[in-house]
Amino acid sequence: MLRDFLVLAGSSILHRKIRSWLTVIGVFIGITAVVALISVGLGLERTIDDEVAKVFGVDTFVLAPRGSFGPARSSEGSNQYALDLEWLRTLDGVQTAAAVRQRTAFVQGQPGPEGRLAQGFLPVMGLSPELITSFSSFVGSLEVEPGGRLFQEADSVVAVLGREVATRLRVDVGQTIVIAGDADKPEITFTVVGILATADDERPQQGFTSGMPASATTIYIPYGTMESLWGPAQDVLVTLVRTAPGRDVDEVANRAQAELRARGSRVTAITYSDISSAIGTVTSTVSAFLAGIAGISLLVGGVGVMNTMFTSVLERTKEIGIMKAVGAKNSHILSIFVIESGMMGLVGGIVGTLLGLGLSAVASAIIGRMFDVRIAVVASPVLITATLGGSFLLGAVAGLWPARRASKLPVVDALRYE
Amino acid sequence: MPLLELAGITKDYRLGKTFVHALRGLDLTIEQGEIVALMGPSGSGKSTLMHILGALDTPTSGMAAFDGQSLQQLSENQLVTLRGRKVGFVFQTFNLVPTLSAQKNVELPMIFLGVPKRKRAARAKELLTKVGLADRIRHKPNELSGGERQRVAIARALANNPEIILADEPTGNLDTETGGTILELLRRLSVDDGKTVVLVTHDPEAVRIAGRVIRLRDGRTVEEKANA
Ligand SMILES: Nc1ncnc2c1ncn2[C@@H]1O[C@H](COP(=O)(O)OP(=O)(O)OP(=O)(O)O)[C@@H](O)[C@H]1O
Ligand SMILES: [Mg+2]
Repeated sequence: MLRDFLVLAGSSILHRKIRSWLTVIGVFIGITAVVALISVGLGLERTIDDEVAKVFGVDTFVLAPRGSFGPARSSEGSNQYALDLEWLRTLDGVQTAAAVRQRTAFVQGQPGPEGRLAQGFLPVMGLSPELITSFSSFVGSLEVEPGGRLFQEADSVVAVLGREVATRLRVDVGQTIVIAGDADKPEITFTVVGILATADDERPQQGFTSGMPASATTIYIPYGTMESLWGPAQDVLVTLVRTAPGRDVDEVANRAQAELRARGSRVTAITYSDISSAIGTVTSTVSAFLAGIAGISLLVGGVGVMNTMFTSVLERTKEIGIMKAVGAKNSHILSIFVIESGMMGLVGGIVGTLLGLGLSAVASAIIGRMFDVRIAVVASPVLITATLGGSFLLGAVAGLWPARRASKLPVVDALRYE
Repeated sequence: MPLLELAGITKDYRLGKTFVHALRGLDLTIEQGEIVALMGPSGSGKSTLMHILGALDTPTSGMAAFDGQSLQQLSENQLVTLRGRKVGFVFQTFNLVPTLSAQKNVELPMIFLGVPKRKRAARAKELLTKVGLADRIRHKPNELSGGERQRVAIARALANNPEIILADEPTGNLDTETGGTILELLRRLSVDDGKTVVLVTHDPEAVRIAGRVIRLRDGRTVEEKANA
């Protein structure tokens, strides 16, 4: 009988082609908006997620100063922390770890034309060589000017200089600088092995450069050598930890955080999933907002269907009377009309979903061109099923009320209706 | 036991403050298998009475029984089933569904009874052939002449092989010849299949096939004449 009701509903839809199409249009505009906005939102989310995964790797976590990440972010407290890097490397589940510490130091360079030594207080960063060898995606494109090099694991008293510092200290590759550490420690002479190439502004900065910008005003020395100048690390900016293959990153990260805190390091471990969920909250708020706007247009579409159903039911009051006179129960009438309005909703849903997905692909391409990124085009099966189901429901619900009203009308009254 | 029994039926229509008394205490008994002609001037309540006979409308007061079963005691769904299975109604104004073809219109009562598609289609074609519309089955009502619509309505009334056929002026729009065919069809239903037929008519031809003629005046039966 359901099949027959489908046929009955269908023939009535086809009989009123123009009005039915107008109703369908009312629905699909709303659906198109919803699907397009949500799909673009999902695409952005996916893109950001992919980017984060590319830089971060799913097996790596970051130790940031406590309170610098997450909902309890505060500007209070130091943004540097104490760390026993050697101990961390021996922690169960840790494969490699690399850290960055920073100080400001009195540095002497080479004499100028009048014989005066170039000197000054300058930022000095200690980088684990592993940062360059094992975590290159974080460091991004650190490049030195021709003739120089970055330091390696065996190096100890070598330095890489930013272009500005090198000029200011009047040093070139192969020459030396002297850095003074704590008062009770001897000064150390470093050989300059490389000068950082000035970042080419045309190319967007890639990688985890926010923690350690390839700064033109900084002096880079090996992490280990920092200890000879300033003792055990109290001044770490960031630590990168890679877990051993097959280990649960979140578990290792939590344990590292707990044990490091117990040892006096004020750190927060941030994993890939922390970052994606943090980004996720932002993007889903945006998505929800967009979906809300789209939902309003959907509501308008729903009212449109209801309006059409109402007039359609009214003008077919007589038809309803006929059907009841020849043996249709109220429930039959109700089914036919609900199917009819549901089908219009569904057709609107199908058209809207297709258009919405198309629109989101176009929008992604345009946004991608504007910001010079590849934005993933997401056709979420969940979204599609939900949309189709939802649009049928929308239509059905919109038709329910007028259909109920019509089915309740006494037969003779319905028959007399003109 | 009579098939239909009405006693003291009144039907009032309210129009603002005034009442129209369409039926005023009408008694009527119809036996299984007979053909009854209902006559009377326009506005005398013939259609109103037919609606009550067909369980399409309820009287304001009085008792109506179908097959010994009081109609007042039936639920709405039971009334629907009764109409669907036992009553074939030919309306004065045809009342075809404009969006459906002649065949689908004839199938409609069978759809609601749950008759399988193939059986339904065969029956609809057979009935349409019987009323002389074999070549009009795909036409929509607005593509048919008045007489053709009337015949579709008659075919539809016969769809579920009802006990009683209630026909409100079934030959009103037909020429003598087609009208004659329809009357013969109704007569055969009564004679061969033992169906009961009640028809409203002004047509002397129609009166001839009737076993009984009932006249209505001012909402009451004023004369019953038995044809020989
Ligand atoms: N819904 C209604 N509301 C008010 N009055 C009505 C209604 N239906 C019928 N009437 C009145 O009841 C009376 C009987 O109507 P009915 O349709 O039964 O007449 P009829 O005998 O079938 O006439 P005709 O030969 O013209 O078809 C008429 O006076 C009519 O005006
Ligand atoms: Mg009448």
